[in-house]
Amino acid sequence: MKSPTDVHGVTAPWRLFDGYHSPEGTYDEMIAASGELRPHCEGFVRSVEALGRHEFTSRWEGAKRSIRENGVTYNIYGDPQGMDRPWELDMVPLLISPAEWRGLEAGLIQRTRLLNLILADLYGPQTLLATGLLPPSLVFSNPAFLRPCHGVRVPHGIHLHLHAVDLARSPDGQWWVLADRTQAPSGAGYALENRIVLLRSLPETFRDCQVHRLASFFRAQRDTLMALAPKPHDQPRVVLLTPGPYNETYFEHAYLARYLGFTLVEGGDLTVRDRKVFIKTLEGLQPVDVIFRRLDDSFCDPLELRGESSLGVAGLVEATRAGNVTIANSLGSGVIETAAIMPFLPALCRRLLGEELRLPSVATWWGGQAKELQYMLEHLDQLVAKRAFATEGREPIFGKKLAEREKSLLAAELRARPDHFVAQEQVALSSAPVWHRHKMEPRPVVFRTYVAAAGDSYTAMPGGLTRVSGTHDIPIVSMQRGGNSKDTWVLSEGPVSTVTLLTPPGSATRPERAGSDLPSRVAESLFWLGRYAERAEHAIRLLRSVVARLTDRDTTDPLELAALLRVLVELKMLPERFAERVPLRELEEEMLSFFFKENPHAGLRRTLNELRRIATIVRDRLSIDTWRILNQLHQDLRLRHGRVQFDDVLAHLNRMITDLAAFSGMEMENMTRGHGWRFLDVGRRLERAMNATSLVQLALSAGSSDSAVLEPLLEIADSSMTYRRRYFARPRLSPVLDLLLLDDTNTRAVAFQLAALSEHIRHLPRDPKAPSPTREERLIDQAIATERQVDPHVVHRDGDKGAQEVTALLASIEANLRELSEAITYYYFSHAELRVS
Amino acid sequence: MSADASPVQYEVVHTTEYDYSESVAVSHHLAHLSPRVLPHQQCLHHELQIEPAPAVMTTHSDYFGNPASYFAMQGAHKRLTVRARSRVSLEATKLPSPSDTPPWEEVADRTALPLEAVEFLYDSALIPASAELEAYARAAFPPARPLLDAVLELTRRIHDEFTFDRKATTVRTPLADVFKSRRGVCQDFARLEIACLRSLGLPARYVSGYLETAPPPGRPRLLGADASHAWLSFYCPEAGWIHVDPTNNVLPSRGHVTVAWGRDYNDVSPIHGVILGGGSHTLRVHVDVLRVEEI
Repeated sequence: MKSPTDVHGVTAPWRLFDGYHSPEGTYDEMIAASGELRPHCEGFVRSVEALGRHEFTSRWEGAKRSIRENGVTYNIYGDPQGMDRPWELDMVPLLISPAEWRGLEAGLIQRTRLLNLILADLYGPQTLLATGLLPPSLVFSNPAFLRPCHGVRVPHGIHLHLHAVDLARSPDGQWWVLADRTQAPSGAGYALENRIVLLRSLPETFRDCQVHRLASFFRAQRDTLMALAPKPHDQPRVVLLTPGPYNETYFEHAYLARYLGFTLVEGGDLTVRDRKVFIKTLEGLQPVDVIFRRLDDSFCDPLELRGESSLGVAGLVEATRAGNVTIANSLGSGVIETAAIMPFLPALCRRLLGEELRLPSVATWWGGQAKELQYMLEHLDQLVAKRAFATEGREPIFGKKLAEREKSLLAAELRARPDHFVAQEQVALSSAPVWHRHKMEPRPVVFRTYVAAAGDSYTAMPGGLTRVSGTHDIPIVSMQRGGNSKDTWVLSEGPVSTVTLLTPPGSATRPERAGSDLPSRVAESLFWLGRYAERAEHAIRLLRSVVARLTDRDTTDPLELAALLRVLVELKMLPERFAERVPLRELEEEMLSFFFKENPHAGLRRTLNELRRIATIVRDRLSIDTWRILNQLHQDLRLRHGRVQFDDVLAHLNRMITDLAAFSGMEMENMTRGHGWRFLDVGRRLERAMNATSLVQLALSAGSSDSAVLEPLLEIADSSMTYRRRYFARPRLSPVLDLLLLDDTNTRAVAFQLAALSEHIRHLPRDPKAPSPTREERLIDQAIATERQVDPHVVHRDGDKGAQEVTALLASIEANLRELSEAITYYYFSHAELRVS
Repeated sequence: MSADASPVQYEVVHTTEYDYSESVAVSHHLAHLSPRVLPHQQCLHHELQIEPAPAVMTTHSDYFGNPASYFAMQGAHKRLTVRARSRVSLEATKLPSPSDTPPWEEVADRTALPLEAVEFLYDSALIPASAELEAYARAAFPPARPLLDAVLELTRRIHDEFTFDRKATTVRTPLADVFKSRRGVCQDFARLEIACLRSLGLPARYVSGYLETAPPPGRPRLLGADASHAWLSFYCPEAGWIHVDPTNNVLPSRGHVTVAWGRDYNDVSPIHGVILGGGSHTLRVHVDVLRVEEI
């Protein structure tokens, strides 16, 4: 492109593509070979240039921040940085012109229809194998061909409900299919999240460009899945089955479940009874009609598929055989994910659809055919070899990069197991501009888009996930390798209809099934989320009371510090030696160590990591704001060694307490008062009551004369203000005990927690036939009765004997609460179904 | 055995008993306990007696055409008894003369094989082909040797060179270990020979069934008669599938009751389950195969 000149002495307008050159011989998505902007990109580029460089850059920073804050992540196995890696999104979308999209759309839908028919044949009459249109060995040697699923009828003949297609563009501008994903395709949720981020970052540009919305695609997908309930009824229950938080794309499982309004479940949440699938909820077993799965099919049923899998649901295949549940995609649909099928698609398309295949696949040779094997062996240098079956790995092998010895080993393996290999032409990917270091740079891209069942036909997502290679010379594009991504804008010729899935226009809100969809596992996680949040806050408050005294030494009462340290030693938060006088420097080091390493004494880090882990499990139950707060807490934990001075620690602890306070605020103000909220709050109250009772016991054991511990005690229990307002004096033992234990207007007092627990327990779901009072009710009543026997003045009056009396009562309350926690776990969370074989 | 080739009837009782250390709330089971119907084998009667009574029990024909039963227990129990009672009638199988069977290489051309045979050419989870096994098998397969002739020699070699030893292996012992130790049970010898044949490109399938418990006087009691037995069959053009029993070095006929076949044990295991709860469990299996005239 021509550089703008500054002839009139005014600042030249910003030009996005100054100095941009795509590599010789590749197709660039935005700039034609002539150096001109492609016509369909003009609107976008003008609109972005009108923002100016400064504004564009600041919006890009905003976008990155929003991705970080929303916790959009992709788990990379073996990533040293930890499990979650923030998602990466480029600010410049891939633009597809209306005319080009028409062709693509028709080709995509045709391909899905074709693959669906192939699946129907392979799991049915197998005519294609008998007539040789597909070589039998391609299917029979394929581990993804699941024989137990043969002959299982699927509603409306739909095997493939969601199909992902990876497309690449060759230098002549033609799109080629690189790969099909037919089993449980990932990425649609990331495409949606990318769209939301970009829409917020570039709203004017998005409007000006007349971009097709994604919502109608997801709506069609959702409505179709709901309509596929084997026995249609008003409120079909669709669940999204995930392998769990350790899966690389767990973020989008939770994200899509929330967006589509499906319940997110793990295999352990489901059970098969009477050949029907049920979800285990707090209120018993609830029927499931449709399973939208993100679990690979061979893991779905330990009875009939992969015996050692613990992720699936025993009896699921039998439930499909009985026609009692619809699974999307159907079990066994992974068999056609192999690239080995690609060479056969043109003939299959003519036979099954009577049409020519519209979208060509990248040139592929399958070793299972003699001539093709010969060709592969002779041209290893020019080809990319791959395992034909994904179960054996997806890593491409670039022939030209192999040493002679490696090449002959590969050739030997090819000859030994020819069926298990394919080779493909090495594709020259097109390039697209990526915003990198304040300018545009070309990067190879692959475009993944989706086709979903919609009524009796299929619909293609007008958009998708464009993945970008990390550097311009690596031809492999994979999120697993840590690439960047782009939104994809399919441009419309006219105004686009705006549909959003969040508030379907004209349709009444479906009545909420109050809490009945809460899986027991989720209730348990929420319970522990409450406990860990409280545990973390308690630990941080304890640390802060020490750190505050170290930071502000001039006004610190050394007796207070010593008393406090003894408490921390008793709680095993500090090593024994801190009970005696130690150099303050050493204490400072110890305080810092809470942040930098797994401190064996306190495990604050462990508590926070556990909090994070549990939050991840129930992510679909937390509002985006709540998640953002927890994410902030997690970021605050990530201090870098060497960058932090002891003086910063106090501010840091304060920030973490604020994060936790914000979290509990969200919980109180923004969570529906369903069972989920109750379990979260039960966890929090139990933990708080237990912490308070044990802390007061420690303070009492220090000796009733030791009043130095009282000020820190009030601080930790966040009750200093209340005390001072009430008594205008230095703390004395009896009123402190009264405030911390008995005052039911003090939200931190034990009495307050017990009253709240009692209220919750009476509202938890119950088997009406269960004896009354329940064990939980009995335990909380006992705790409350014990608490009422506590007389704070007895300590003042009777000295040590009084302290012992109160301590004994508190110990009894604490034991009661522990038992209560176990009772709740037993009644509500234990599935009493541990798998043994 | 009496010299004539008249049909023989057997009463088969196959009992499986699970004892759990703790109560089981839910369990799902899949059973292959019902004898197949074959040209030389009729199933006159079959019933599955399950105690306590299962909540669900259905039967379907599996991918390989074997009758398969699914049943589920949904009430708490500490013991599960599954008793399969079958009455079968067997005729002697007709076999081609070994020298009349085609040269083995002709059969090893997969493009010429029917679909039902191609299915059994490939590796399965428990039976991977290997260069080692191919080399072992080759000795019995010189060029142009008639297929049955060669298979008979391979069967004899396995019988002679491997020791029957109940303690040497389990269902999960890798085949390579069996080959190395030269010890195992009927399942191991069957899969070993299958792997040999598949390594040469010959279709072979795993067969599960029973042997007569107490043969008539004067006849030896065969190994594997007090439990489920396993052997194999291989595909021979025109003749179809021919059964061989490497454990006993015989061609099964009226003494082998066929229950099911598949690629390996996983496809046909007599009974397996996913049990929720139950702690540890002990398992007892007992098989009785009696001639009807003796009852």
